[in-house]
This record gives sequence, structure tokens and C-alpha cells, in this order.
Amino acid sequence: MVAQSARNLWTIFRHEFSLYFGSPIVYFIGALWFLFVGVFFSISVASFNQGAPLTMDNTISTMGFLAIFIAPGLTMRLISEEMRTGTHELLLTAPVRDWEVVVGKWLGAWGVLTVFVLISLIFPLILTFLGSPDGGDILTAYIGLWLLWGMALAIGVMASAMTPYQIIAFIISLALLIGLWLAQAVFNFIPNPLIQEIASEATIFSHFQNTMVQRGIIQVENLVYFIGVIAIALFLATNFLGTRRWRA
Amino acid sequence: MIQVEGLTKYYLGDQPAISNLSFYADRGEIVGFLGPNGAGKTTTMRILTGYMPASAGKAIVAGYDVMRQSIEVRQRVGYLPETVPLYKDITVWQYLDYMAGLHGMTNPDRTDRVEEVLDQVDMLDRADSLVANISKGMRQRVGLAQAIVHNPDVLILDEPMVGLDPDQRREVRELIQNLGEARTVMLSSHDLAEVEKVCTRVLVINRGRIVAEDSPEALANNMQGMQRFYVRVDNDAAGKLKELVMSVEGVAEAKVDDRKGGLEVIATRDSNARPAVAALIVSNNLDLLELRPLDMSLEDIFLQLTAEAEAELADEDEWDDLDDDEFDDLAEDLDEDEETK
Repeated sequence: MVAQSARNLWTIFRHEFSLYFGSPIVYFIGALWFLFVGVFFSISVASFNQGAPLTMDNTISTMGFLAIFIAPGLTMRLISEEMRTGTHELLLTAPVRDWEVVVGKWLGAWGVLTVFVLISLIFPLILTFLGSPDGGDILTAYIGLWLLWGMALAIGVMASAMTPYQIIAFIISLALLIGLWLAQAVFNFIPNPLIQEIASEATIFSHFQNTMVQRGIIQVENLVYFIGVIAIALFLATNFLGTRRWRA
Repeated sequence: MIQVEGLTKYYLGDQPAISNLSFYADRGEIVGFLGPNGAGKTTTMRILTGYMPASAGKAIVAGYDVMRQSIEVRQRVGYLPETVPLYKDITVWQYLDYMAGLHGMTNPDRTDRVEEVLDQVDMLDRADSLVANISKGMRQRVGLAQAIVHNPDVLILDEPMVGLDPDQRREVRELIQNLGEARTVMLSSHDLAEVEKVCTRVLVINRGRIVAEDSPEALANNMQGMQRFYVRVDNDAAGKLKELVMSVEGVAEAKVDDRKGGLEVIATRDSNARPAVAALIVSNNLDLLELRPLDMSLEDIFLQLTAEAEAELADEDEWDDLDDDEFDDLAEDLDEDEETK
């Protein structure tokens, strides 16, 4: 049973991953990503020359922030397009479970992002030529980045399972991610400490930026937050996909 | 191999898409599912392949319950949906390799098997073509290839002949017949000639109900009670021929032949419809040019069966719609009719 699920996940992951690299969009997104990140890294390098500490904070923050815009674009196709073209009919009548379809597709997208992240390791490598950066700090921030992207992509997969229209899926996940990024700023206007506390815990900013990037530490609640949101989003995506069977 | 009992499916609304369907299909049978568009063929097939659940009833496919053991069923069923859905951005080979992988096949068997089915559907030379770049007939064959790539016990094919030219139809027909020797094949169609050529047994479905079930030959025999003939007159300017013919006792249907301008008439065999039509034409001062018997085709049988089923349903509906008073009135009228007879 476990072996079977692992095999199914691998089959779907492999298919989705190779579909990404067979289309020009992923190269375009990748190019755009590295352009932005490269600019921010150059600015950091300039500030190092003026005596600022040698860190990856700004560069990794930028890579994290870009998830809001890029993750919806990477994931909008995943399930929507199958519904629109009808290929989901064969996928849903193949001996794979709905959750395997959802998780396999999510892993495919996460795989693409992992390739981006691995390529971006060139930046910390450059830092080592400029001096001796704190390797632990950088590793922690990268783990945060990777988890944040996993979460953003899971939300994108969920949105894609909600509608056969890619553009609607894009807008839904973009809105959700902006909401999660800005929740604290919005709820700061409400002078209730409990609500502010909840909003702060729900915000990507406090788990990624404030903790894993700037303080260079990983707390249990950070892991619970990212993994929890991933699990909830993928669970809902599986259920949305399941309701297609009833509404078909 | 396929055992269906009381299968019913409601979408939104009160009208069921299929209602209380029961049928079976054994190994070695090629069962044709025949009916007009919207009859419930695709709905039934989607339930049998585990795509969606039924509202009521039971279906056993390859020994497993489609509702409770969906994965086991899906491992043993090959399915070709109506509009062959293919991923367009990958090659024919990649597509089949993916479908084989989804059915749990691993290398090196998977590679061998993909090559084998590509050979079977005569697509080996196009294995490296992008799916987007192959013709409709080829896509149909690739669709068929994905349905058989995991060597399923049961094949469910929704309109497998649609969009093929006559040569391709013959090839696909032969392929289905070969596949059907050791498997259970169920195929849907609204093309009677195809079903007649390839199927060992036919289920005729209309408005979600099975209206007939038999071998193609036996269905024709059942209809021996009916006769079909062709009638043509010269000076029917007023176009009253059809009306006249329909008024003759025993005539079930009269259809205008667009090409030659006459009427195709179906009547009960024991009625004296032919001489009666002739007499009526003469007595109405029309010039009778032609009156000759025609063979009953499966097409006619089909039209007849679905018309009968619809008439039955209409009767039921009529009775259902009545309120109590109207019901009593109608019942009284019927009693009076009986007495006067």
C-alpha cells in the first residue's frame, strides 16, 4: 500500500516535473526570478562594501516575497487545465487516489522551485569569496525559503483544484497569499491584543522574515505553521478534486 | 465480468440520467450500448469506470464493487472516454508511458508493453510525434492504446469509432474484436451499423432506461412482428399522404423519404396495412406510383424501440400528472368505452 502510493506519487511527480521543463513558461519565470534576485543581491554586495554585515537576508527575503506572485503562476495550470481539457477523466479513472494526484502535482511544482533554489546557491557561494558569512544563518533562511515556497505552491494547487479556469485559480491563490503576507498589517488597526496576536501568528512575515531569516533560528511553531498550512491546503485540494466526481 | 443491478444516477434535479439499469456482460462478449445522445450511455460508463458514484444500485466490475473497491476496479478496467483526452505537449510515447505508470507498471516491462501496444494500434512510427501534431484518427488510436496498455480484463469504450474514416473504422473494429476474445468489452455508439458489425450483444438504451437487450440478429427477429414498406404517389400536392397513411390501422410510423419524396412506413405485420393504404390512396384520387416492401434494419428497430419506450413513458407521465378528479373522469371514460365495445 505504501509502496504503491510512493510509486504513484513518483509517476505523477515525474510527469508534472518534465511537463514544466517542456514548456517555455518555466524558463521565463526562472529568468524573471533570477533577474529580481540578482538585482537585490548586487545591492547587498554594494552595501557590504560600505561595511554592512555579510548576510543573505535581503536576497532570501526577496526570493520569499516573489513566491506571492510566482507560485500562483506556476500552479494555476496543474489541475484547472486537466479539468478544462478533460484529461482529468483518465487521471481519476486510473488506479491512483485523489490525494496522490494532488500531492504528486504539488511535488512536481516544488521540484521546479527546488531547482531554482539550488541554482540560487551561487549567491552564498559568492559571499564566501567576499569574507566569511554565517553558514548556519544562511542554511536556516534557506530552509525557511523552501518551506515558504512549499506552502505557497500548496495554496496554488488548492486554488487550481477549485476551478477549471486558470486565471481564476491564479487570482484566488494570489489573493490568499497577499492576505497571509499582510494579515498583520491589516489587523493592526483593530486594538484587540488577542486578534493582533492571532494575526501575527497567521502571517508569513512573522514566521519567515522575522524568525528564520533575520534571527536565523527555527522554532517549532514555524515548522508547525508551514507544514500545517501545506497539509490543510492539500487536504482541501483533494476534497475539491473529489467533488468534481459528484458534479461531473 | 460486468454485473449491474438497479443502477440509478441523479444529477441536479428530479430527472434521473439513468434509472434502474440492470444488465451483465461476460468474458468474451462485446456488448454494444446503443442509444441516442443523452440516453445515459456516458453516465453509465463513467460509473462503471469509477469516475463518479451512482445514486443507487450496484455494479460489480471484474469481481469488485465499483463503489467500495474503486481502486481494484480501476486497476482492471481500460477506459476510452468519449472525447479522447490527451496531453498535447508530450510525445505519443511519453503519454503511453505515463498512463502505463499510473496503472502501476514498472520498467523494463513498461517499455516493452508501450512498444507492443503502439505496434498493435499501428502507431509505432509516430511514437516520437507530439500528441498535438497527430491526426484525429491517430489520437483515437492512441486513446485506444492507453485503454489497453495495462492489459485490463474489462474494456469500456465510449464512442470508439467517432471521427475515424472507413479504413480506420475497419482497423479499430478488428482490433476490438481481437481484444474481445479474452476480455469483456463494452462499447457505446449511436451508429447502429457499427454496433451490428462488432458486437455480440446489444443493449438499447433511451432516456436512461434499457428498452431492449439481445443479439443483433435476435433483435431483428423480435421485430419480425413489424413490416416496413415504401409508398409513393404522383399528385400529392396538398401533402396529405402522410396523414392518410397514419390513419390506417396498424401503422406505427411514417417517415418522409427526402431523396425520393415517398414515405417509409412501419406497421404491425398482422395488420392489413399495405392493401388498406393502397385502397385509401385510390379512394382519395391520388395516383399510386409505387408500393413495395422493405427490409427491417437495425436502424428501424432502434427507432421503433425508442419510440415505443417514449410512448410508454409519456403514458406514465400523463397518468402521473392527473389530479384525482381528472383520474376518475378518465377512468369512467375508459369504462364506458369498454361497455360500448
